[in-house]
Amino acid sequence: MSAFAEFDKERQAVDKLLQQGYGIVNIKEDLDGAEVTFIRSGSDGDPVKLLLLTADARKHVTTAVFAGIRPAAPVEASI
Amino acid sequence: MADLRIDLAGIQSPNPFWLASAPPTNTGYQVQRAFEAGWGGAVWKTLGDPIINTSSRFAAVHFNGQRVAGFNNIELITDRPLEVNLKEIYETKKKFPGHAVIASLMVEPKREKWHEIVKRVEDVGVDGLELNFGCPHGMAERGMGAASGQQPDLVQAQTTWVKEVATTPVIVKLTPNITDITVVARHAAKGGADAISLINTINSLAGVDIHSWNTIPHVGGQGAHGGYCGPAVKPIALSMVAECARDRGVGIPISGIGGISTWQDVVEFMLMGATGIQVCTAVMHHGFRIVEEMIDGLNNYLDDKGLASVTELIGKSVPKYSNWGDLDLNYKVVARINEDNCINCNKCHIACEDASHQCIDMLTNADGKAVLQVREEDCVGCNLCSIVCPADGAIDMIALDSGAAPMTWNQRQQVISTLNGSYSEAEVV
Repeated sequence: MSAFAEFDKERQAVDKLLQQGYGIVNIKEDLDGAEVTFIRSGSDGDPVKLLLLTADARKHVTTAVFAGIRPAAPVEASI
Repeated sequence: MADLRIDLAGIQSPNPFWLASAPPTNTGYQVQRAFEAGWGGAVWKTLGDPIINTSSRFAAVHFNGQRVAGFNNIELITDRPLEVNLKEIYETKKKFPGHAVIASLMVEPKREKWHEIVKRVEDVGVDGLELNFGCPHGMAERGMGAASGQQPDLVQAQTTWVKEVATTPVIVKLTPNITDITVVARHAAKGGADAISLINTINSLAGVDIHSWNTIPHVGGQGAHGGYCGPAVKPIALSMVAECARDRGVGIPISGIGGISTWQDVVEFMLMGATGIQVCTAVMHHGFRIVEEMIDGLNNYLDDKGLASVTELIGKSVPKYSNWGDLDLNYKVVARINEDNCINCNKCHIACEDASHQCIDMLTNADGKAVLQVREEDCVGCNLCSIVCPADGAIDMIALDSGAAPMTWNQRQQVISTLNGSYSEAEVV
């Protein structure tokens, strides 16, 4: 698979969650890549986690946050 | 025609072209001929207690047909008595009052030694002093040159001692043989230096003769490390000049040195913060008259740019030089191959396959002709294909609009830190 195809697969997964109303609330980076936690705004559902491996996807997800796709508000109901 | 005059920390010069302290400035005869050829200033070969040199002193590195890509020397400072040099400096200054004559100095790191030589040299009318804290060989073994220059506190102390008695501007010449040249530059400034010059030569061994197993050069079968200079060191010098220029703790004018061979090199050093430049190796290779071409080239360039004075170049590129962490991660360039100019040598394909990201395909077009094509979506914009390409205009690096807002690594890390700080697993469990 080309590098772009690997990235594109991960980007689509990220974008799909964002389109479904999920927000990015946490990015944990380590030796294996970036584990991104998504939560649907206003929802008390379980967070969704994606492990992003490609550099471009890891850049894409932070660019999305940086550009103003704000993280979902903390889910107070579940605290 | 633009005004080429410069003023380096109070030292006036008819143009920015100075000879560096080195074999071309060993005598009054040489310096006067250099001035006649057009050089605006000269830093006299370093004065100090006269030394004894070895025979067999220079060596060069030739690379793929390019003579003297790099130059190595194990020659020391002047081997002539101070009084002889001073007489010639006086005569030279008398004949060329409008030219800059700077005395390079090196003595033991003792206050009285510095006071003595500064007073004697200034008595003959030099325009400035350059303290040689950079020479990496021979003198360093005696505690001078680079040995002094590698100790920031000693640089500061010696600069202070010189400034106690100096009446002319003091330039501190820095060694590149150190982890962070800005540390020494800051200490020179703290010591009261009026300017810094850099770089001196880099520790080097030009080569080993694989037949005799002798070093190159060797002195009766024995070798020692020398100082490396010439075109090969220019990127190192330019980087160090830029680092000093952007360091607010340095904050004093810079005389740029290191592999400068053409007027274009001069422009680059001045754009990166040098007020003037010094040349040695190019003169050792081609003679004093290379300055004619440098003057013409610089004049034409300034005219083309509509600049009235060469001083308008100083430091203009410094704001464009920053830390890696401040570069835009969303800036994107890709390679594009121009079939009209491509000679199908396949070097780009090989380079990309073996050393980069495997994104140049070898295809056959509708006419049955072999073509090379970049898969732009996989291209990371490393530039390697355009670097190895031997055909002018065959590969262009094209900037693409990624559609994403500029974002640096530092900004990215801040975003992640802020994001994670406002969230914890506990909040959603």
